[in-house]
Amino acid sequence: MSADGILASAEAIAADVASGKRSAVEVVTSFLAQADRTADTLRTYLHRMPEAALETAAAIDRRRAAKESLGPLAGVPIAIKDNICVRGVPTTCGSRILERYCPPYDAHVIERLRAADAVIVGKTNCDEFAMGSSTENSAYAVTRNPWDPERVPGGSSGGSAATVAACEAPLSLGSDTGGSVRQPAAFCGVYGLKPTYGAVSRYGLVAFASSLDQIGPFARTARDTALVQSAICGRDARDMTSRAEATPIDLNDLERPVAGLTIGVPRAILDEAGDALAPSIRAALTSAASAFERAGATLIDVALPHARYAIATYYLIAPAEASSNLARYDGVRYGVRRGDGDLRAMYEATRGAGFGREVTRRILLGTYALSAGYYDAFYLRAQKVRTLIRQDFLEALGRCDAILMPVTPTPAFPIGEKADDPLAMYLSDIFSIPASLAGVPGLSFPATFDATGLPIGLQLVGRPFDERTILRVARAYEREHDAASRVPPLAAAGGGAP
Amino acid sequence: MPIDVTVVHKIASLARLKIEPKDEERYARELDAILGYVAQLQELDVTNIEPTSQVTEGAPPPLRTDEVCAFGEREEALGQAPDRDGDYFTVPQVV
Repeated sequence: MSADGILASAEAIAADVASGKRSAVEVVTSFLAQADRTADTLRTYLHRMPEAALETAAAIDRRRAAKESLGPLAGVPIAIKDNICVRGVPTTCGSRILERYCPPYDAHVIERLRAADAVIVGKTNCDEFAMGSSTENSAYAVTRNPWDPERVPGGSSGGSAATVAACEAPLSLGSDTGGSVRQPAAFCGVYGLKPTYGAVSRYGLVAFASSLDQIGPFARTARDTALVQSAICGRDARDMTSRAEATPIDLNDLERPVAGLTIGVPRAILDEAGDALAPSIRAALTSAASAFERAGATLIDVALPHARYAIATYYLIAPAEASSNLARYDGVRYGVRRGDGDLRAMYEATRGAGFGREVTRRILLGTYALSAGYYDAFYLRAQKVRTLIRQDFLEALGRCDAILMPVTPTPAFPIGEKADDPLAMYLSDIFSIPASLAGVPGLSFPATFDATGLPIGLQLVGRPFDERTILRVARAYEREHDAASRVPPLAAAGGGAP
Repeated sequence: MPIDVTVVHKIASLARLKIEPKDEERYARELDAILGYVAQLQELDVTNIEPTSQVTEGAPPPLRTDEVCAFGEREEALGQAPDRDGDYFTVPQVV
């Protein structure tokens, strides 16, 4: 395999494997070798599966030799966030309470990826139960940002973002409840899509906040992002919320120019953010808006007047749902059991020892918000404000095809900087949470780099089930800029750089 | 109402969470700060606004037919339990 093998797109890899130009075993071997070099330093994985990956690859090669047709992701390595069930493979959600759990079934998205002939290479590190914005809340390891190992990769899908940025795998899956795909994608300089609520079945995704959770892809090109989304989307009877309206994306649609599209920019939000929004990100946004205008798009100002209440709304709704979803970890059917004495003491000891600080904090917060006397003032009111936030988006998206906004107020922050200040950590989600509450799709695309070499991502928010338009806009930007073609020095060090 | 150690103790008990007494003070402080922040929702007028509990586009989701679907991997599922007796999950004695 050529030196630039690990820089190839998933699309090119699948075409090469299908045509016989490269074998799946060859492809998988080269990515495994890259992960051997960098994964221990970056702590991207909680569980790697080299033997299983090579077996899958060999089976794909045998089927090709037998002239069988192969799927659209033939031989392409993909890493899976550790809160998505892969049969017989440890799935811990970054939590001690699931330390020994090996699910007896595949998630819907895993079935789909196997059907597409993708090759699963491992389970990536994440904040415990997907609660966090830095991957520092994992019970097992702190993942490092490939662009600067002293900084966080973002979270909660930090391992999934970092492994794609470091070229350990061309693709990965994460989950996004309030920004957990888009924010780490922005911090690591890769694409990250949070599909429309209902676009992808969550069967086999460990539940955090069920009215918000969505599974989404990471990739290094807009087309690869669309390729994965097409493979995993659509109706699945095992997730009541999944919708047939979510249909595969024609890659040719992504090549259509942006001329004629209208792009909204929420100026008031940017003004209100003031000094909290890093000048480098403000400049990147202005520059991207001009680029779209030069390409023939019409720019308009859109108002999202209730977006400023998004964090307060989210930190009532998400913990409330989490406190309910996490009630199932009781030390009876799976996971770890602690304590002796009566049943209640066993529950309390198991949960007390099994959950980390952030998860405990959110269970407490959610239990409080749902408890007698507070439900109306907190949870119900938050659900009403959620309606206002959603109305803002639908109104704005009635006037434009996509909204361009930041993903994060700053580039990746140093490890430890916000670890002891939960509220400061929550406030960093200001630009990703609104689209989550509205249920609309959001894409983080790599826009540029700041003066210190850290990646800057920007966000495109689209209409429900219109992932293709935001990917098309990002693809137009990519044709001119291609920020994701740059590889972190750490990943390029041992060879593989162009 | 400010969140103090007594409140933390009570909600931890409701959530079946054992929290070390030394940590209760810290959780109280953190929850108090978070709830202080979310109090800003009180400034909005939400009269006549319907709550959103689930975002659904178009027609309501179709209901699955009510059929028994056997899960084939019984042993694999039971094998995850920290303690079992044959086909049963075991728990500390309750009666």
